[in-house]
This record gives sequence, C-alpha cells and structure tokens, in this order.
Amino acid sequence: MTAMKIEQAWNNALAGVALWARTNSPWVLHFNTGSCNGCDIELLAALTPRYDAERLGVKLQASPRQADILICTGPVTRQARDRLLRIYEQMPEPRFVIALGSCALSCGVFHDCYNVVGPLDRFIPVDVYVPGCPPRPEAIIYGVIELLKKLHPVDVILEGGSA
Amino acid sequence: MNALGTLLLFPGGLALLLVALLAEWISRKLLARLQNRVGPRWFQPLADTVKLLAKEEVIPEGVHRVLFEFLPVLSLAAVLTAALAVPLFGVVPATSYAGDLIVTVYLLSLLTLCTSLAGLITDDRYAAMGGLRVLSQLFSYEAPFLLALLGPAVAAESWQITRITAHAGSNVWMLFTQPVGFVVAVIGLMGKLELSPFDAPEAHTEIVAGSLTEYSGRGLALFRLSRNVALVVGLTLVAALYLGGVSDPLAFAVKTLALLLVITTVQALFARLRIDQTIGLWWHYGVLLALGQWFLILIGKGAA
Repeated sequence: MTAMKIEQAWNNALAGVALWARTNSPWVLHFNTGSCNGCDIELLAALTPRYDAERLGVKLQASPRQADILICTGPVTRQARDRLLRIYEQMPEPRFVIALGSCALSCGVFHDCYNVVGPLDRFIPVDVYVPGCPPRPEAIIYGVIELLKKLHPVDVILEGGSA
Repeated sequence: MNALGTLLLFPGGLALLLVALLAEWISRKLLARLQNRVGPRWFQPLADTVKLLAKEEVIPEGVHRVLFEFLPVLSLAAVLTAALAVPLFGVVPATSYAGDLIVTVYLLSLLTLCTSLAGLITDDRYAAMGGLRVLSQLFSYEAPFLLALLGPAVAAESWQITRITAHAGSNVWMLFTQPVGFVVAVIGLMGKLELSPFDAPEAHTEIVAGSLTEYSGRGLALFRLSRNVALVVGLTLVAALYLGGVSDPLAFAVKTLALLLVITTVQALFARLRIDQTIGLWWHYGVLLALGQWFLILIGKGAA
C-alpha cells in the first residue's frame, strides 16, 4: 500500500519536473506551407534582439527531430501538403502546432486558389491559432505562451522564471 | 567510498555536469548581451536537458540501431573520463600518470569522432554531410591544438598534467612566454567544440543541424551535455597550462571564467567560416605558428 503511494508520488514528481522543463524550453521549428513571407518576417522579428524570445527559452531549431513546436505560416498548398505531413511525422512526441496568420487559419486572401488545398487544421491538429495579417511579434510570443499555459493544469507557468 | 565520491559527486560526475550546464548558460547569456538581447534565464540549459531527456527518442529507419543509441553514451563517458586527469575547479585531479595529457586530448577527440559517426550512420544526407565536415575539421585543428598543448609540456619536460601545472605555477605565465601557443590553443579549443566561427559542421542555414540532425530526445541531450563537459574540461586544461597553473581554487575559477568570456566574445565577433576556409586557416597559419613556437622553445631549451 505504502509502496504504491511512494511510487505514485515519485511518478507525480517526475511528471512535474518534465512539465516544468517542457514549459520552460519550447524549441520551435518554422515551416512555410505557402505563405507570402509576411508572417515569416514577423516570426523572425520575434526572435531578434528587440523581442528576444530566448529569454522565455524559445530557440529556433533547424531539424524537426529537435523541435517541440511546429509553427506554420500560410495556407497549405498542394506542393507543401506532403512535406508538411512528413515534417509533422518526423517530430518526436510531445509535439505541438501553432498556426500563424490569417492564411494558416482560413487561407486568407488565397482562399479558393487553384493550388491551395486548405487551411492548416485540415491536415494536422493545431493547438494555438494566432490571427493577423501578419500577426505582430508580440502576438506570436503571446501565442507561444498561451500554448505553454495549455500544458499546465494551473496557470502558473513562467512563474519565478520571468527574466 | 572516497573514490566513489570523487567519481560521482566532486570534482567529477554531478558537480562537473552542473558546472557544464552553468558554463553553457554563461556563454549563451554573454552572447545574448553582446547581441543586445536579454538572453536565457539561469536554469535554461537544465530545462533544455531535462526536457530532451523526457522527450520521445525517434530511431529513424536505416540507422545502425545499436550504434545510434550507444554513441551519445560513449561520448559522454569519454569526456567524463577525460575530466579525471585535469585539475577541475583547481583541486588535485582524481588520477595522474605519465602521459595523461595525450590521453585527455584524445578522449576529448573521441567526442568529435562520436559526433561524426552519429551523422554517418544515418540515411540522412544532411547528417552525412555534417559528419564529413566534423571529420574534416577534426583533421585540421587537431594537429595545431596538440602542438599548442605540447609547448607547455616541452617547457616542463613532462607529459603529466600535474607536473606541467606545477611547472606553470612556479614560473612566469606561459601566456607571456608562449603567446602564440596560447592563441592557437584557444582557437583550437573553439574548433574542437565547433563554436562559431568554426561551426560549419552544424551550419543551420546549410545542413539543418549537421551530424545530429536525426537525433532527438535522450541522444541529443547526452551529446549536448558531453559538449558542455568538453567545454569545461578544455577550458580547465588551457587555463591550467597557460594561465599560471593551479594556485588556489578561487583564482583558478576566475581564470577559467575569463577564458570562457574570451571564447564567447570571439564567437560573437566572427561570422562562420566555410569548411574549406577553416581547413585553410589551420594548415596555412595554425600549424606553422604552433610549429614555429615549438622550435623556438626547443632552441631556448637547448641554449639554456
């Protein structure tokens, strides 16, 4: 009985540590599924010195294998669909997806284009939607933080760690 | 019991791992400040490592499964073993025997070999390219780095790290008597750790993440940890040999930290060299400078 309790407490502690690490070290992967580059520039601006997402632990990774969050910009074009699915499959669990910009949400101005097959959430599960054409860097960072909050049972992330 | 404590807690093992994470944070924070950013929080490397350890490890198709899982462990083991012979934190090293300088340098190279092999055993072309670049870079900086570390060894007439540091502690800093060797050693250390401007093997804009492209989770965490440990071991080695040996732990910590700041500043100052430029730099200048210095020391020794 006590052995079970101890094991449960130990597992809870382990899960807590893993959750703490996960919410404090979100590494992102940027994939352009057919965007006009507007959102991409804003995403890069969020990583530049003025906004400096590294103070929240956000790092831009180049390999899908090493990323936790997939940030997609733009509507999904016919050419990008297979690559998108492949990149999503390449990411290790737990993985999350952020749809960035009006086009990733609803195809935006590219709606009904001959080469556009649909918004992002038609192909992969999306955790957070960041609207805007393009969204400001503040909005992107806010989106990442909303995603991290979703991971937590209670809203206490980034507490004591805000730079 | 005492030996076990030396291995697992202090100065090897746990203390070394924590200091390695701290060194990564100092380096990243300073780099961020030099780029006018705020930079990561102090626990960032720890959070990164724990997160990677808790993540799924994907074993891609077409790799040699045993090697894929074994290489990160081997590289961490190699650098932790290398740490046993160097005066970490200024305390007496755990082991000391004739020729441990050579063994330490080659244990550090084992990390590079593991990194390279990790890229070469996968089907991924970026990883293969990264693995080849790691090897090319290894062959270019290894000779000058070793020659630069031989300078103090020749001056002290010993291959044993404790004897060299004792000699360095009782004489003028070798930074002043062998300045060229010091520069080559510091730059060689940067090449060894694949720090910018010698980060062509993992150039994110060209070949994704280099030889570690296919690594996720545990493997990546172990490789990152071993690189940080190698950073601490390398800094300790260069500081002990060139910056006046190990007198008292506090002064030694300050020297090591100063060396880390120098390396980070150089990182922030220079853009990445192409792999052929890296090799050209080493064989055109690095080797010649180190060799010239070596001959001067030999002549000086003969004259004295």
